[in-house]
Amino acid sequence: MFFHIVLERNMQLHPRHFGRNLREHLVTKLMKDVEGTCSGRHGFVVAITGVDSIGKGLIRDGTGFVTFPVKYQCVVFRPFKGEILEAVVTMVNKMGFFAEAGPVQIFVSNHLIPDDMEFQSGDMPNYTTSDGSVKIQKDSEVRLKIIGTRVDATEIFCIGTIKDDFLGVINDPTTL
Amino acid sequence: MSVEPFNKLVKLAARAFYDDITTKGDNQPKTGRSDNRGIAVVVLDALTRRQWVREEDLAKDLKLHSKQLRRTLRFFEEEKLVTRDHRKETAKGAKIYSAAVAATADGQPFGKEGEEKIKLHTHSYCCLDYAQIYDVIRYRIHRMKKKLKDELDNRNTIQEYICPKCDKRYNALDALRLVSEEDGNFRCESCNGELRAESDKFAAQEGGDGDDNARKRRREKLKSMLQNMETQLKPLMSQLDRVKDLAVPEFGTLQAWEARASAAGRAVNGDSSSNDPSKSSQVGYGGTPMPFLGDTKLYCDWVLNQAIFGLRLSNKAGLLSNAIMVEVAFAGAEGKEVDVKSDAATSLKVLPPWMIKQGMNLTKEQRGEVEQESKMDGSSATGGLSDDKKSTVEDDKKSLQARAMR
Ligand SMILES: [Zn+2]
Repeated sequence: MFFHIVLERNMQLHPRHFGRNLREHLVTKLMKDVEGTCSGRHGFVVAITGVDSIGKGLIRDGTGFVTFPVKYQCVVFRPFKGEILEAVVTMVNKMGFFAEAGPVQIFVSNHLIPDDMEFQSGDMPNYTTSDGSVKIQKDSEVRLKIIGTRVDATEIFCIGTIKDDFLGVINDPTTL
Repeated sequence: MSVEPFNKLVKLAARAFYDDITTKGDNQPKTGRSDNRGIAVVVLDALTRRQWVREEDLAKDLKLHSKQLRRTLRFFEEEKLVTRDHRKETAKGAKIYSAAVAATADGQPFGKEGEEKIKLHTHSYCCLDYAQIYDVIRYRIHRMKKKLKDELDNRNTIQEYICPKCDKRYNALDALRLVSEEDGNFRCESCNGELRAESDKFAAQEGGDGDDNARKRRREKLKSMLQNMETQLKPLMSQLDRVKDLAVPEFGTLQAWEARASAAGRAVNGDSSSNDPSKSSQVGYGGTPMPFLGDTKLYCDWVLNQAIFGLRLSNKAGLLSNAIMVEVAFAGAEGKEVDVKSDAATSLKVLPPWMIKQGMNLTKEQRGEVEQESKMDGSSATGGLSDDKKSTVEDDKKSLQARAMR
């Protein structure tokens, strides 16, 4: 799920940036530091949409670096248990397959793939129904449901299922 | 548009899902006295005999405190069984409802105009939402079944992996760091052995160690739960089937209903005498008329209310004494107590008379107690009730003593 939230961060800025472009430098650095990172609490920071306020800087003893408390708005992406996501398959093996939905990686183990799909090894390993009509392989697009998340301080990993109504392949790369 | 099949559905659902619901503030202590379980069933039953009803009137009819009733109704509103409407009205405004009601029952001329106060009161009205009730019940049963089935099929469970060489365990959440670079299989982090999915092993040697046994027991428990659910909810499900293709009774919004009721009432009053006995039978207890209900019988809510409460209390007294015996018998085996108690609850469950059909295999208690109790409560309801209360208290004491003796 996506959220638009306000976060706060203490930014350290090198003294060489002190000048009339200080604010610009600060914002650029903020984007570079924060966008694309992941915190277990808020999820993946997708984009910064605005800077609310920049507080008074505090000069660090010895280094001359200045710390600014910055309040900024951003869009974050946080996967939840029970959430339905559309994802692209990145790898298939006999234990199941891995898929990506934006920054988040999802593993679907083979017992959560419908029973009528069987693993086929080879240079393009895949799961296929007995009549060959549905195939999951690398680059397939699937709709899946998240059934578990592992949230670490800097990482979120999910496991999902496609063994439910309306889940499974939504776009086959070979038919495109 | 027949309401009866839908009313039966409501009654069955009330008994299946809302039988032991207590609606009270969290801060109140749980004592036998304040136990109002069963009230939900009484309120729903009463609503099946009405359409839109002013909540104060309903409280009066049921001899309930209006606060208590409101709490129950609010609960049902959240459960999506009941629609409610609140409006600020003057004494005159309140009469629109009375007029609608009165018009459908008898042609009494209502209230003299002019004695109104300008003071506004908020009045609440409630009504069963049959269409939604049908959906809610179906959804609820669907969810219950799905949950059990999913667990039986191991759906939505996290796959476990085990290293055959060093017995180290992993689960699907570790998947990312288990994938080996060379062949894409899962490999043990410490010994690089190829991992096996746990269920494979489980299938290979059925019922091996204690862990597997626990799994098996759990499966069996789930299976029996599913079976029990099927049998116990059978009457409800067959009623759902029966209702499926019927037109759902719709009363519309309060305003629409009022307008319709008074229009119909005016039409009826035009051509019939006010002392018609067939018409007066439509007037419920406490003078609450029930327009549009055609073939409804006269019920005395209060007696029914007391009968159900009486039943419940005596039922509980029986339960408690059972529990005491059980406690003494199992002195020292604390863990079993809970199971046995719940068993006692199911075996002693007294069925309401309308649920009993020919050919049902019931104990005498289940049949007999119903009649005896309702008779007693019908004649001297208050006496019966307080006696039952006393006996519960005594049983409580006994159970304390039994505990002390251990
Ligand atoms: Zn190992």
